[in-house]
Formats: sequence, structure tokens, C-alpha cells
Amino acid sequence: MAKVKVATFWLEGCAGCHMSFLDLDEAIIDIAKAVEFHRSPITDIKEIEQVDVGIVEGSVGSTEEEDVLKELREHCKILMAWGNCACFGGICGMRSTMDKEDALRRGYIETESTYQGKIPHPPGVPQLLDKVKALNHIVKVDCFVPGCPPAPEAITYALTELLAGRIPVIPIQMMRFD
Amino acid sequence: MNGIILTINGKQVKGKAGSTVLEICEANGINVPTLCHLKGLTDVGACRMCLVEIEKERRPVPACTYPARDGLVVQTSTEKLEKHRRLVLELLFTERNHLCAYCLASGDCELQILGYEYQIDSWRYPYSWPSFPLDSSDKHVMIDHNRCILCGRCVRICSEKVGVHTLDFGYRGWKDRISADLNQPLGEASSCIDCGACFQACPTGAIWAKSSAYRGRPDQCKKMRSVCALCGVGCEIDVLVKNNALIRIDSTELAGDRGVLCYKGRFDQLYESHQGINTPLLRDDSGKLKACSIGNALDEVGEKFGNIVARYGKNSIAGIASSKASNESLKAFKKFMTDIIGNDLIDTIDGDEYRTIIQGATKFRSGAGLNIETTLEEILKADCLLVVGVNPLESQQVAGSYIFRAASQGKANLIVLDVDKNPFGFHASTWLKPTKGKEELAINALTKAVIGKLSASNAVKAKENTTSLGAMNITQANKEAGIDVEDLNNAAAMLAKSKHSVVVYGKDILLRKNPKLITAILRLASKSGKQNPKKPRVISLKPRGNSRGAWNLGLANKKEFSLSGLTKNGVKAVYLLLADDYIDDTKIIDGLKGAKFVVVQASYSSPVTASANVVLPSPTWAERKGSYTSLDGITKSTPKLTQPQNNIKRDEDIIRGISKRIKISDRRS
Repeated sequence: MAKVKVATFWLEGCAGCHMSFLDLDEAIIDIAKAVEFHRSPITDIKEIEQVDVGIVEGSVGSTEEEDVLKELREHCKILMAWGNCACFGGICGMRSTMDKEDALRRGYIETESTYQGKIPHPPGVPQLLDKVKALNHIVKVDCFVPGCPPAPEAITYALTELLAGRIPVIPIQMMRFD
Repeated sequence: MNGIILTINGKQVKGKAGSTVLEICEANGINVPTLCHLKGLTDVGACRMCLVEIEKERRPVPACTYPARDGLVVQTSTEKLEKHRRLVLELLFTERNHLCAYCLASGDCELQILGYEYQIDSWRYPYSWPSFPLDSSDKHVMIDHNRCILCGRCVRICSEKVGVHTLDFGYRGWKDRISADLNQPLGEASSCIDCGACFQACPTGAIWAKSSAYRGRPDQCKKMRSVCALCGVGCEIDVLVKNNALIRIDSTELAGDRGVLCYKGRFDQLYESHQGINTPLLRDDSGKLKACSIGNALDEVGEKFGNIVARYGKNSIAGIASSKASNESLKAFKKFMTDIIGNDLIDTIDGDEYRTIIQGATKFRSGAGLNIETTLEEILKADCLLVVGVNPLESQQVAGSYIFRAASQGKANLIVLDVDKNPFGFHASTWLKPTKGKEELAINALTKAVIGKLSASNAVKAKENTTSLGAMNITQANKEAGIDVEDLNNAAAMLAKSKHSVVVYGKDILLRKNPKLITAILRLASKSGKQNPKKPRVISLKPRGNSRGAWNLGLANKKEFSLSGLTKNGVKAVYLLLADDYIDDTKIIDGLKGAKFVVVQASYSSPVTASANVVLPSPTWAERKGSYTSLDGITKSTPKLTQPQNNIKRDEDIIRGISKRIKISDRRS
């Protein structure tokens, strides 16, 4: 049987979901046998190729992340959101409660350790979106694995279901919003 | 007789007429999800989680507000309903900031639990990202409107159970939010009594207590049922304990009749306000208190007590106990004084109050004791309340809530008789304000006015007693006590026509040490409305948490008891059992100066422990198993909630240690 092609992405997030994935213990062996990793923070491959499953950790907070997500959507059959940032906006969403300019000023100028800070505006640097967005507010998402980070069991469950050809819905006992 | 039969989910269930569909579902173990419903409060149908389908209704209706009728056919869980509920949840989640990862209520949130139950793994709707201000102005409670789902549970508990109605909704539509008084910061809202009921009622992280924040989720804590021993109302509480510390104190049945707590019981107990005593202290030759082993301390006390009794006789040692101590400690203390030392020179710190009440009650009816008093629940049934010389909001706040509740829901007329304060503000119909020292005159004038207003037949019965009121009349009360005649007549009319009047008195009256005042109050109550003339509905708010318990055990002396008088007349040693009471009463400190040897058993360092020769440690309320009697005579027990430092022994064990060591061989009679 051909291996399932998987790409994992790390957008606006803390890498905690990928850490939780690496924390699958022995379950990772079976999964590794069945899948082939393409672009991923783990493989360090940069190109986006056509894959079966695209997995995204993190929310969308900048123009670049938005572009990457849209490109991935075109290159994958099934898109899975990993973690609270991807599913809901998560911790990264905290900045949405304030104005974008206020957030930049606080981050680049007003922080206590900053001396003569400036907000960077060079050409080519991706710009912040006004509000942080969950993946499903930009593209169609096929399945969600909430949690901050998702419990390893939830990730195992989701991947195993996918490999069996089913779209997973995380069972109640594995649901986590924190 | 009033039974009705409904069909719920295809099954026939029985219910009581007058209940809602939700109540019948709950009684029959049928799960209907709710958010804005809190048992005991008026249901408003705000959250739409409990939608059910009822045959012949055009659309789903909220079960919590739908009156159940005989023959209703109800469906609680259809595909359509589950879809509706999911939609409601998603709307609630996206309306404000409901990201659990940085909410302190995570793990203790009803919205979160429902989110899990309905497997809400994403939200379809755009978020509003509100940025409402955080209200941290209150000492104990914080309000984060961004976490609010506008269920109104805080609003309803504040008005229906606490009775103060500080919280309500402010603004409209999108900007709708909880507002205190006329949109004041909570800390500045004058009607708020800081009871914290809103915090416990909040299903999300919108209202939270600073004292418990980030100290542990309920599932990480041990939950224990206990009773608050602070003021004598006897509130049952659930205590969350983690790492040997009290994390949070909750009411056991939040919205029940005895459900509310006060800021002292709920918040203040979580903080240590005084320096604790964790080891026995012995005064050394240089006159300083030094730490020693419990054995050494007990040896010293046993030897000195033994010597003093041997030399000066058994009436040379006096004992004083605080009525904050548990019944067990007090029992052991009394036994020690009567059996081991062998005298009756024993009193409680609030002995004066006891004697005032008892003498006053005996004068009203011979043989009357503390049993003449009614229970706190009667306040809730009252149609007319008279509060004399006490601010329950300070001393027994929950009793104050009962009064607020009775008065604010329009059932009871509230009359305040007080020289300088009206704690109930506009809730009181009348405030009779006698000049200081003329309260008795005012009460008697009121009694006379009440008798004057009674219907003829009752007045004849009442007449027999009027003679004892002497020549006193209403004009005199007006002249001497400065009572407004119109107010007096109004108050008298309310009392006379009432069917269930209750009189509450307390601190200021008891401090007057005038039993005649108590007799006057009892007499007034017995003439008001429909009363049992032998047991009128009167209740006194007693000074300490276990006053009733201590008095029932006979700790308070029946005769006058003055510490300084005793030390002048042959008492050489004083044994004080303070337990977790903090005493800085100058009368006691001065009284101790005349004694040669002073033993203080206390949890906290105080001016009294500073003047002791030996200080023995005592576990606090939380650190020991014990029972306490409420001011209306109900005894409840509490388990050991936390482990005391240095494994301090219980009071009764320490007392037993002294008893064993004392050698009274040539006891003088």
C-alpha cells in the first residue's frame, strides 16, 4: 500500500502541538510506517507539494500565514487543524482584543527592556492582520483536534481515524480547550 | 392529589402541578442541559440551552420557564434540538472572549463542560473580540465582562437571595453587561455587601474571587463539608483544600434558604490575619516568652496550679473561655475547672451578654432560658420585622441578608429601632431613633402604641400587662427619647396588624447590660400581631461564633463575674482558653494584672498572650475536628480541614495533659 503523504505546518503557534505529536510514544511507530512526511518543521522541507493530509498548528495572524494556508489548502485533500490556535485562535488570539497598532507599539516600543524601539515596516516583511483568525475562518477545514496542546491520545486518535479512511471527530473524553 | 402525568421522551412521568418542565425532568433523572438555570432562583430562559420540543407548540420552548401541564408530550433530545443547542453554544462562545487557555475558570466552567459535551471543536461565526474593561475595584471579587455570557445568575442571586440587588444589567444589545448600582465600579457600589454569592453563581470566568484565583482548580483540591464557626449563623460550607491550605469556601446549597455566605466566612478566613502560635511559650527568668516543648509547658502549668491550690485553696484559680472555641474544647475546659480544680469561678468572655439575656428573659417569664428564642428561618417567613440595636450586616451578615430578603421582596415591613444607624437604608419602612440611653422608654412606648392599635378582643387580653408599663406614654417618649410620634404610630400599626412579626436584637442592646431592655423587647414582641405570648418570635444576635454552645454548656457564670474583682479577692491564677479568638479587650488585660500566674491557650498571638506566664498553642477552627452550636441552637460538626503546624494537640488533649500533671494532695476545703 502506498504511504499517505502528510505535510505539517507551524503558523502562529508555539510548537507545542508538534511537541505533543512527538509525545505519542510507541504509537508513533505504527503511524510512521504508514505515512510519508513532506514539508514539516520536523523534516525541514520548505516546498509545498501535493499531499493527502495537511496538518496545521497555529492560528493565522499575518499575511504570509494567510498565503501559506491558502496554498496548502490547494495542495492537500484533507486539512486538519491542530490545537486551540488553529481551531479557535487560542493564545495568539489574545492580541485581537486590542488594536493592531497598539499591539505593535506595545511589542516593539513600550516593552520595559526596549531602548529606542521602532515598528519594522521594510518591504517584504509580512504584515499583521487586524485580527488573529482561526483556520476555518479563512479556508475550509475538514477536521479539528482542539487542546492546548491536544492530548497525545487525541492526536493518535485523529491520525488513526484518518489512516482508516474516516474523518475524525474528537471524542468527548479527549476534548480539551486548555 | 396535585399530581400530573406527562410524556417525556416517550415515557410517562409523574410530576407536581405548578412545576416547570425542567423541574419535572430533573426530578425524573432526565438530563436537560442548562446554563442560566440555578436551582432556587427564578428561571428566566436566557440561555436557550434547555430548549425542548412540546407537541402542539409551534417552536422549541425553554424547559425552565415552561409550566408543566397534565398530558404534555415533551421531547428533550431530538436532532433538531441538538442542532439548536450547538448553535446556541457556538454563538455564546463567539460573542465574547471564551478562549479557555487563558481563563482561570477553565476546569470549573459550565460553558466549557457543555462545549466538551457537544464536541464543539470549532466556531463557525466571526468573533466579536470585545474589550470590555476589567473591574478590579472590589476587595474580594473581580468582574471580567469579556467572559460573561449574560445568564443573569449573579443578578438574580444578588436580588433574590442576598437581597441587596447591587447587580443588574446595564447598556443594551451588543454592549449589554453586568453593572453594579448605577454603573459604579463594584468596589464603590454602596449597596454591595461583599458576600461573594455572585462569584459562586457565575457559571464561567466572568466573576471570580481574588483569594482563590490561580490557586488550584476544584479537581485538584480536596472538597470537604464543614460549618463556618465565625458568627453563629451556622452556615454550612464546602471547603476546597490543597497543599494544606484553604483555597476556597463555597456555600453548600448556593440558592437554598440558608445558601448565602458573608465576606468573612467566604473570603476572610482564607487569609491569616494574626500571627499564629505554633509552639508552647514559657516566660523565662529574664521575663521573656521563650519557645519550649509541650511537656515542659504542661509540667510548669501542672506544678504551678497544684501549688497555688495547695497554698491558697481551690477558689484561687479562675477560668475564662472564649465562645469561639468548639463545644469539645469548652466541655473539657469546664470539666477541668469543676472537677480538677473544683470551683465554679468560670465564665465566658461574653458572659455579660449571657446574664443580660437570661435575666431579661426570666423577668419576662420565670423559668425562661435561651430556648425562648426563635430560629433564624422565622425571619424569612416574617411579614413584619423589628431590628433593635444591631447592624447584622457587620456582625451576622447572613442574618442581615435574611432581613434584606424578607423586606426587599415586599413581604415584610421593616422597622429599625436604633440610636445611630439604619443599616438597611430605604428597605426600612420606619427608623425609630431614640436618644442614647432611652431605648427602653422607646420600646415601652412602642409596646403601648401597639396595644392601642390591637383589635378590641386582643386588647383586652393585652391589658393585664399594660399596668407594668407604668405611667409611660407616647408623648413622654416623644419628649424624652425624641421619638417622632407619627413614626411611632406607623411602626405600631405595622406590628399590631402583622401575622408573623419577628424581633431581632443584638450587640448594642447587649452591651448596655440592662436586662430590663430584654424584658421590654420580649414584651413588645409578645403583643405584636399573632404571637405565642409565652414564646414570642425574638432572636438575639450573639457576640461570638459558638456563644450559644458555650452558654448551653454552662460555661457562662450565672453570677456577676469580674476578673479584676476576683484577683483582688484571692484569685491567684487565671486560665484562659481563647482558641482561635483574638482578644485585645483592655478589661481582660487589666484584670490579668492582678494575677500571679496566667495561662493562655490560644491560636493567635494577642495582647492577652503577651501578658501570660505560659502560652499553650491551640488549633484553629480549620485545624481540628469539632462541633459548634449556631445562635438559634443547631449543633453542626466540622472535620479537620488542614493539619496544624507542629501537630499541635487539640485543646481537650492539652487540658487532659494538665489534669494528669496536677497534684492536689492536701486540698483545702
